[in-house]
This record gives sequence, structure tokens and C-alpha cells, in this order.
Amino acid sequence: MFNNLKNRFVSAIVPDLPLLPSSERERDREQRERDHQRGGHMRYLQMTDKIPYGRPSFLQLLTNDELRASADHNVRPIIVPREINLLPWATGYAECVNSGKSEWNEDQAAFCRQVLSDPEHKHPDLPYTYFGIYDGHAGCGAALAASHQFHHILHEKLVDCIEQLLPRDEDIENGKLPLNANSFPHPVYFQRRVSKDELIVGALESAFFHMDSLIAQDRNRFLYRDPGGCTACVTLFIDGKMYVANAGDSRAVLCQRRAGPASAVASGSGVAANQAESDAVEAAAYSYPTPYSADHTPETERERLLNVARLTPHLMGKQYVAMEYAKRPHIKNLGQRILCRQGTMKGWTYKTLTRDDLRMPVVNGEGKRSRLLGTLGVTRGFGDHDLLAINTGIEIKPFLTPHPDVRQRDLSQVVSIPDEHNEDGDYGILVMATDGLWDVSENEAVARTVFQTLSRYPTEKHRYTMVAQELVARARGKINDSGHWRLADSKAAATVDDISVIVIPVHQYYKEHIQWTHNYKNELEQRRRRAAEAEANNMAQEAVNVLNGIIAEEAHVVEEQPQDEKQAEQPVPEVKLKEKELEQEQEEALVAELNDETPQQTSLETVSESLEQVQLDVSAAQAAAAAETTTTTITIAATTNKQQQRNNRKGKGNRQ
Amino acid sequence: MSYAYLFKYIIIGDTGVGKSCLLLQFTDKRFQPVHDLTIGVEFGARMITIDGKQIKLQIWDTAGQEAFRSITRSYYRGAAGALLVYDITRRETFNHLTTWLEDARQHSNSNMVIMLIGNKSDLDSRREVKKEEGEAFAREHGLVFMETSARTAANVEEAFINTAKEIYEKIQEGVFDINNEANGIKIGQQATPTNPALPGSGGAGGAVNSGCC
Repeated sequence: MFNNLKNRFVSAIVPDLPLLPSSERERDREQRERDHQRGGHMRYLQMTDKIPYGRPSFLQLLTNDELRASADHNVRPIIVPREINLLPWATGYAECVNSGKSEWNEDQAAFCRQVLSDPEHKHPDLPYTYFGIYDGHAGCGAALAASHQFHHILHEKLVDCIEQLLPRDEDIENGKLPLNANSFPHPVYFQRRVSKDELIVGALESAFFHMDSLIAQDRNRFLYRDPGGCTACVTLFIDGKMYVANAGDSRAVLCQRRAGPASAVASGSGVAANQAESDAVEAAAYSYPTPYSADHTPETERERLLNVARLTPHLMGKQYVAMEYAKRPHIKNLGQRILCRQGTMKGWTYKTLTRDDLRMPVVNGEGKRSRLLGTLGVTRGFGDHDLLAINTGIEIKPFLTPHPDVRQRDLSQVVSIPDEHNEDGDYGILVMATDGLWDVSENEAVARTVFQTLSRYPTEKHRYTMVAQELVARARGKINDSGHWRLADSKAAATVDDISVIVIPVHQYYKEHIQWTHNYKNELEQRRRRAAEAEANNMAQEAVNVLNGIIAEEAHVVEEQPQDEKQAEQPVPEVKLKEKELEQEQEEALVAELNDETPQQTSLETVSESLEQVQLDVSAAQAAAAAETTTTTITIAATTNKQQQRNNRKGKGNRQ
Repeated sequence: MSYAYLFKYIIIGDTGVGKSCLLLQFTDKRFQPVHDLTIGVEFGARMITIDGKQIKLQIWDTAGQEAFRSITRSYYRGAAGALLVYDITRRETFNHLTTWLEDARQHSNSNMVIMLIGNKSDLDSRREVKKEEGEAFAREHGLVFMETSARTAANVEEAFINTAKEIYEKIQEGVFDINNEANGIKIGQQATPTNPALPGSGGAGGAVNSGCC
């Protein structure tokens, strides 16, 4: 087992990221071109979308009519989930289609609740929840693929390191890691201790690479239309922590609020409308945003892009120049000195302008208008494998990467004083949204809107949905008589892009996590107790055998049982006793026989003792199950079942 | 399924008057006694036949709560017809009609056909608003009026179809600019707007084809 564990460690340090070797890409291209020449064109026309267009399943827009109505570019309806309970923790969601730049809404969103469970059931299960938001461009395909597939890939990656992630008995974990294993010549040099955090971050990172290569593979199967590309912003709640992985210009912002007088008043009832409104404003005054992602645009990634271009100049096909100029050079400036910089340079330097400098820069424009190779406004994400630069036809993909930045937050470190009733403010509300929102809303304004809206709906179950709806409504604005979308408060242009917003009450997750911790600690405690009992009985059995002068072969097997394995479900070899012994040692024999299937030896006293305990646990578990959400309910129900089975078996033994 | 025209409707009125139930009865022919609060907007669609022409109704069911009013307002745009609904067993829903009407008139295109509906006619014993009052309000504001019951389906078909007929007549009269989708009317492949031929089947009754697509 230790060897197995060690192997896992090694593979976790060097995850085999599915990269696309350029030679293979080259071959694929050639193959495609050849196919294209001999009738491939016909096939191209028959190509289909891998996943048909749709909206996130939790919106329940099932018919074509509903899809069509939701994509009304004239009205841009704000769509929220019909059934609020579909999303965990009353998480809010709202979306709105663009004003006509593409036929369909190219954003996608997804969530998934999963449980990591040990195939051998040695450790308690570990639940996790994932949310993803994907902003598609040049087609819906990549975003659809990501929203339908990413969680499967992520699950695979997490299962890969399941042994390190699952909660375990502290006694076993401490000091017994296989650092002194003898199969390595110098284990100290070759074996790093990898933390859980690093494994989870690694799982996210490798899942991003895997997702991108999956889109590439599908395109090479020659069945599907070019899916375009998409950005990806993913949040994973696991083990009491929050991990945000982002590639592209979607953004996740944690909106928090310091406890102010308003939070106390908000819980009071019967306040006048005006009072409530001023409270809302006051509540918002204490709010502040903390970004959990950084946008990846040609401007923010200028250094990386210029470096790629400088190191692999052939990618630019002599059409672009990997330099940045303080001022766009003109032909009339030839021979003059001009301020410029390249690669990772932070400062500026002079050079004499040559004809080469008149080519288009790899990155041009500023801010939201910045473009890579004059074409693309986002530099990380999935897809875009077939994207060519405007005018020059140079491949863009080599400049892009699916690699996400991952940020994390340990929720156990959050300080929240119960009397202040400011859990949402302390733990924060995570707003994940595509650039449709962020293009026209500052982070601060979003944080204000979040808490303003929350204090307007202090008790409603759908309050987080209202926040999402409000954020979308503000970013979309209103259409004026000449058909332009304008913000309500200033007359500035509103966004014409697709908008999608997820609003996650982080505290609700943490509450669920605490409950789960409580349950699994109980479970561990039981396992430990049972293991201790089993061990004690083993020794008693042994003593009895010796006393009787019967040292059977079976008894040897019991001795071989490793002493340090304290886990409850370790198979204890079957002990068969003859009728004669049964008469002599009735108590042990009874239990030994009934344990034919799941060997476990207990004396009668302990049987009745643990029976009591099991009953207590069952009732406690049922009470908790009634109170908690679905997943926990399932886990608890599972353990309850197990306990009841054991209960029954023991009962049988008693009757005998 | 192809259609000659698509008409867009919006259903408005106070919370709890039965807007969603009316939609469900019309599109699915069923009644759901317990219905969650509508947040935002929901969509329904059904094909009907008027004057021998297939007409698709795309219906937007809006949230009635005051809190949603500002968002609902943006949905008037691009609607050809509106069903303004009140509850005959709750007087206050009738009293709010003026505000709703003002809202609708202000934010919609001027040709929008508005049908006034007094819903829950099956609960006659608890009636608070007389039928005559509804009729009077409709007459005063130039609306078409009808009492319906989403539970028994009484008059539900008629309410939607009569509104469609009125829109259709306005098209025939050339009142609507059917080339501007913002008016809530879309021409389908079937349409032959220059020749409104009426083969016998159409008739004055405006035969109804059931079933959605």
C-alpha cells in the first residue's frame, strides 16, 4: 500500500499533461487538407455540432420555442432558473443574450456536485462542488463542450489523487508517510512532500489542459464544425476551501462587507420602505471586492506573448514584429530613433527604426480593445485550434494557452462573529461572470449592488438569484428610442455582449462543510473504536487458544495481522472454532461465527454497548439528515444503512 | 412547424392572479394548483389557426411582484399583444389595473392589443369584483374584456385567440409595420401578406388547431 501511495506522489509531482506535439498538429493539418481536396468539402457541409445548442440545464429551457424566445435580441430577456432549488446553497444565476452580434448566447455555465469516495471504503467520502462559466467566441461549440465535459475531466483528475485527498485517521497519517521507503536510492532528493492544496491546484490545471486537448481531438475526428473558442472560469469548493481557476477574461470577485450598523437593522422586521432603502445603501457602503482571478487579455499578457514571439519567430511568419513601441512607427520615421521594448523588459529603450519595425506588432491596442495578432481579444482558454489571424492567415493557437491561474481561500480562517449576523459579509459572496458584466461594471460597484440587493431581500430564498438578476439588469441597461442599449444611471453605453452571472453564498458552502466534518469525525471515531475492540478481542482470543493448548493454523493468521493497522474495515482472517471450544468459550465463538462474512470479533458486552451507540448515531444522523441538504443526506443515509446492517448482524448473534 | 406569422404576447398583472396558470392551461391544457412564484420571465408557445393561417403565439409570462416591475417593463417592447390579468376574488388586484395599464401604454408600441382578463371565475362565491366593473373598465380604456378560469379552462382559449384575431385584423388593415420585429410580429415562410386568401375552412369562427410544437 505504501508503494502505491508513493507512486501516486511521484505522478502528482509530474502530471502527464496532454500536450499537443506540433508534429502531430502538422500531420493533422495535412490530413485535413488532403481530405478537403478529395471531396472533403461535401463532408464539411455535413459536419454537425458535437453538442447541440442549449442553455445550461438548470434553466430548464427545453423546447426550441423557449430557446428562441430566450435569445430575443430586441428585448434581451434576463433568464433565471425556474426551479431555484436545482442549484446548491440557493446560489443565484442570471443571464442575458447579446444585442445581435451572434445568433445565440455564446456564454455557458455549469455546476456539479460530486463525491470522492474510496473504492475500498477505508476513508470517509469527500464531497465537492464545482461551478464553471465559459464565454464562447467565434461559435458556441467550445463553451458547450466545456460546460458539458469539464466536470467529468476534473473528477477524473481528483480521483487520480484520491488517496491524498480523502480525510483519514490523524494517527495513521502523522509520521507514517513512506519517506523511509527503500526503493529509492535517495528518497530525500527525489521525493517532495506535496500538499493537498498543490494536488487540487494541479488537478484543476491539468483538467484545463485536458479539456483543451479534448476539443482539439474532436475537431480532428472530422465530424464536427469548428467549435470556436471560449474562456473558462471555474470555482471548486472542496475540503473547506475555495479554489478559483481562471483562463481568459471572465472574472470571479469575492464581494465582502465589514459588519456595520445596517446588518443588525436588516434583520429587524417592520421597517418602513424608506428606512429599508437607506439601510440598503448603508449596507453597501461597507462592501468591498476582492478579485479571485486576473483577466488574460493581450494587454495583461503582453510580456508572455512577446516572449513567445521572440523565442519562436517562425510563428509570426514574417508578418508581425515582437516589439512594443511607445508610438506606432510610420514609414516617414524610418532611420529615426524610436522608444521600444521587447520580451520581458519592464523599461524602455531606443532603437533605430528599420523597415521590419513597420510590421504589425504581435500585440496592439490598449485595454479592452487590445488584440493579439490584430484578431483576438483574449489570450487564454479552450479551443481556437483553427483560428487564423485576420489578413495574414497566421495560426493563433500557439500564442494561446489553456493554463489557468488558480487562487484559493481557506474558509476555516475566516473570522465571523455570530452576534453580528454578517456571515455573507465575512465569508463573502462570490460573483463569477463573463466580461459582459465586467466591461461596464467596476468590481466595487458590483460589491455594492450585491449587498444592496441582499438587504432588500433579507429572508427570501431567491435572494441570491435576485442579486444575479440585478447585476445582469444593470449591465444590460435599457434600449433607447434609437435602438442603443444604455446604462440606467449614466447615459453611457451598456454592454452589447452576452452576460452570465453566478452568485455563490460562500457561507452556505462552509456551513455544509462543517456539518460534513462533524459527520466524518463521528464516523472516524466509531471506526477507531471498533478497530480497537477488534484488536483487544484478537488478543483475548489468542490467550484463550494458548490456554487451551490449541494453537491452530488460523491463530497464526491472526498473529500476522499488522499491529499498526487500526482501520476498522481491515479484513480479519476468519477464525473457525470447533463445537467443543464453542462450549468452552461461548461468547467469542458466537461472534466469530456470525462474522463469517465480515470478520470482526466482539464480546457480548461490547456488542450491546456498540448497539446502543449505533442507535444513538442513527437517530443523530437522521436528525441531521432532515436538516441538511441533499448530498449530505445521501452520505448520511449511506452510513446509516451500513450501521443498520451491522446492527442486524449483531442482533442475530445475540439471538443465537 | 412552419407558420405564417408569429405573434408575441406578454402576460402582466399583480402577483398571484394566475398568469402562469393561464399560460400553462393554454399551452399544456393542464392546471397546477400550487405554483412557485415566477422570478424573471417564462416562455410558452402554441400554434393556432386564424383565417386558415397557421399563427404561432410566443407568450412571455412575467413576474407580478412589485420588485420585478422595472425588469418586466423592458419586456413590453416587442410585444404585439398583452393579457392584463386581475383576480376577481381580490379587489386590490383590480385597483392596480390603472398602474399596469399606464406602464404598458408607456413602454409598448402604441398598436399593442391589450386584453383585460378577470381570472378565477370558478371562485364565484368569493367574488369581490363584479363582472360589470371589469366590463366598464375595459370600455373606458378601450380594451377587450373576458372572465376566465385557469382551473376549469373556461374562456382561456378564447382569451388568447381573440387577442390574436384582433392583431391579425390590424395586420390586414395595415396598422402594424410587420417588417419591424420590435412590434412583436414576425413573418414566417408560409406568409403571403399580399394575398390574404381565405379558403372556406377559416370562416368567422377562426377554427383552432390545438397542440404546440
